[in-house]
Parts: sequence; structure tokens; C-alpha cells
Amino acid sequence: MNTVLIIDDSDINLTLIKALVLKLGECNPILFDNPLKGLDWCRTNVPDLVIVDYMMPDIDGLKFISAFRALHGRNEIPVLIVTANDQKDVRYDALLGGANDFLTKPIDRIEFSARARNMLSLRQGQKFLSGPAEHLAELVEERTKEIRGRERELIFRISRAAEFRDPETGAHIQRMAHYSQVIAAGYGLDAAAQRLILEAAPMHDVGKIGIPDYILLKPGKLTPEEFEVMKGHAKLGYELLKDSASEIIQAGAEVAISHHEKYDGSGYPKGLVGHKIPIFGRIVAVADVFDALTSERPYKKAWPLDEACRFLEEGRGKHFDPLCVEAFLAGWDQILDIRQRFRDEEVPMI
Amino acid sequence: MLKSYVLDKPDILERLGGDEEIFAMMIDMYLQDVDSNCAALGAALASGDAVELQRAAHTVKGLLATFSDDSGSAAAFALEQGAKASNSAGFAEAVAALQARLREVAAVLQAANPG
Repeated sequence: MNTVLIIDDSDINLTLIKALVLKLGECNPILFDNPLKGLDWCRTNVPDLVIVDYMMPDIDGLKFISAFRALHGRNEIPVLIVTANDQKDVRYDALLGGANDFLTKPIDRIEFSARARNMLSLRQGQKFLSGPAEHLAELVEERTKEIRGRERELIFRISRAAEFRDPETGAHIQRMAHYSQVIAAGYGLDAAAQRLILEAAPMHDVGKIGIPDYILLKPGKLTPEEFEVMKGHAKLGYELLKDSASEIIQAGAEVAISHHEKYDGSGYPKGLVGHKIPIFGRIVAVADVFDALTSERPYKKAWPLDEACRFLEEGRGKHFDPLCVEAFLAGWDQILDIRQRFRDEEVPMI
Repeated sequence: MLKSYVLDKPDILERLGGDEEIFAMMIDMYLQDVDSNCAALGAALASGDAVELQRAAHTVKGLLATFSDDSGSAAAFALEQGAKASNSAGFAEAVAALQARLREVAAVLQAANPG
């Protein structure tokens, strides 16, 4: 609803302009037959449009405009001045003195509507642009949060799809993702990177979607040929996720292709050595192996925690980045919390 | 002597976007205000204040123009300009003529809008 202030000492003009304003729709006219009273009203109210007559007692339209403009925050409010046809000089003065446009008497409805609408559009634009920046920032943040939430949910579900075909569970995804976050923090990565690895780590095995069932679900030991096919899941996951515009999925692609690399270069698919392995891959390797060891599978019992820790320690500098193992062990209390939080029977969302 | 006022309803209505309702409302208001408008002209004349007279004439000029009274409006404009220039001569006559015009227009409007 637009507030339209109309100031004219003539009742008939006030009534006419009010009727025309009401015809515009979405307008609330406020009438004053005295410019000083109108000005008083403006001290505590902000109209969206001012329509003011030129020739009035006490102060004329030009003086009203300059007094109105001098009020704080009224500098940009559109003002239409109503003048007689013969007052060209007044119109010039008004335009130079702060009026946005003018109307000539006798008032013509078509002309009135067009000019008033233009002024109100101008006002709408001003309101939009001058809306508090914080509000816009909040809105963007809120929407971004929503989008990120949906992205995370989708990633979790995609990751689950891969895990459904695997003896591993949804809880495994959650645990290894949270372990990864603990390691990232201990390693000294910043908060954004910690968050990113939490969100990207669940995608580490998504390439298993492309591994045939007879290999993926085989109860016994894989033949060397079968193992070669199985190893392909790292590359498959990468192919599935690469070139995404999403930062999380990009990170997921990196995790997928690098989480089976080993620090000494004996891993796959590329046999990268040491810091040639992306940091997310080095972190996820520790988290994933620890959780695989300490979880029960149809073909094996869960390892005791101390044995799993020993395995990690023994793998320092060989399988694992020593700093990642150190970060993992340094966050041991958190690791235990995570194990408690994400048990195999329940799968809460991140 | 001014030409007789003839109501040009189509012309007025065109300016009002064909809105009969506003048209009827304006006639009502004119009729309601005609006495006070005549009185304001008389008072301005009596005050001897040229600015006052100029303003009163200006108001009447706009009012008559609203009802498409070009001649009446022109007479009011002449008075307005005269007062602005502070020509003292002929104001009484011009004011009386304008007052008569306001009443003439009122009579025509009254006849056209008996409701």
C-alpha cells in the first residue's frame, strides 16, 4: 500500500485528486488543505508520493517542497507539483527546487495516472534499493543454507545408494565423515575445510555403484582380477563426481579418487606418494580404514579399538600420512563420541 | 462581457477518464463551495491586499478550468495577473464579474445535475 500525501487548499481539488489516487489502486491518500499541517504530518510520517498544489496560503508549493526536502530522509520521496497551465516559470522553479514532475490544472486523469504511477514506481525502486543490506545478506545466507542443506542431503542419499549395495552401513558413512572432520581439525585445516571434508567424505565409495554384484557382494576373498575391478571404484567415483560446479562434489571427486592412495606410493589408482596425495585423500584414508577395522562385517568381527589404533600407528609413513594419524589419535575422545553417536542400527542425518 | 457558460460535459469527462462518479462529485463540491469562493473573492478585494486577491483569483481560475470554462478562467487569469502587477484599477468590477460567473456556472451545473 502506497501512502500518497495530497496538499491543496482547495477542497474540490483535494477531492478530485483523492478520487484519482484511489483509482490508481493500492494507494492510501492522506489529505491536507493546509501545507503547514501537511508538513507537520511529514515530520513523523514518510509518504511514498507527495502531490502538492503550487498556489496556497501561508507557504506555496515551492516552499513546501524545500521544507519537505530538508526533513531527514525525505530527500528522495517523489513529489508532484500541481500548477496552472500558464505557470511555466513556476514549473521550472519547482523542477529545479526539488519537484520530480508536475501536473497542470485542470487535472487530466490520463496524465495524472501516468505521472503518479511513474512516481510510485520510482519510489518502489528506491525502497527496494535502500532496503537494509543486512536484510539482503540475511536472505542470501538463509537461502544458501537451504540450498547447502539440500545438497548435503542429496550427497548423503547418493552415498547411501552406493553403500546399500555393500555390507557397509549408513552409520559407517557418518562415522568416517566425522572422523575425517576431527583429523582435519587436528591437522590444522581451517573451519571451512573441516566442514567441507565432513560433507565430502561420505562420497568416498560412491564409485562402488559401478562394481558388479558378483565382485562387490562376494563373500570370500577376491581373485587378483576381481580385485583389479574392485579397485576401479576409486576412478568410477571420480568420473561420477568430477567437473561439478559444487564445491562439495568437487571435494567428493577428490576424496573418491585419492582415498586408497598410500603414503609410501603403494596405493591406487595412481600410486601417488606423500604430499602428492591430496590432503582430503590422506585424511579420509585414516578415517575409512579405522572405521572398517572397528566395524563388524558379515565376513569379519570388529577389531578391538586398541588393535585398530595400533594398525594406524604401524601404518604411519607407509599406508598413512603420519600427521593424519597423529591428528586422529589426538582427537581420541571425539572419536569415541562419534562412535557412540552413530551406531550401526541407527542412521541419523548429519 | 463574458460569453455564456455552456457545459461541455464530454470535454470534462474526457479529462476525468470518463468517470461519471467523479464528475458528479465535483459538481456537488462546486455547488457546495460556490458561496465561499465568491465570499473569498469579495474578502480579498475588501482587504486591499493584492497578493490575497491574486491567490483568490488563481483559485477561481483553476476551479472554472476544471469545468472547461475557458472564458471564465481567462477572466480569472486576467484578474490574477492584474493583482500581481498591483494595478489597482478595475478590481471591483472584475471581482463582481467573476462572482457572477461563478454563480452562472453553478446554475448551469445545478441544472445539469439535479440530483
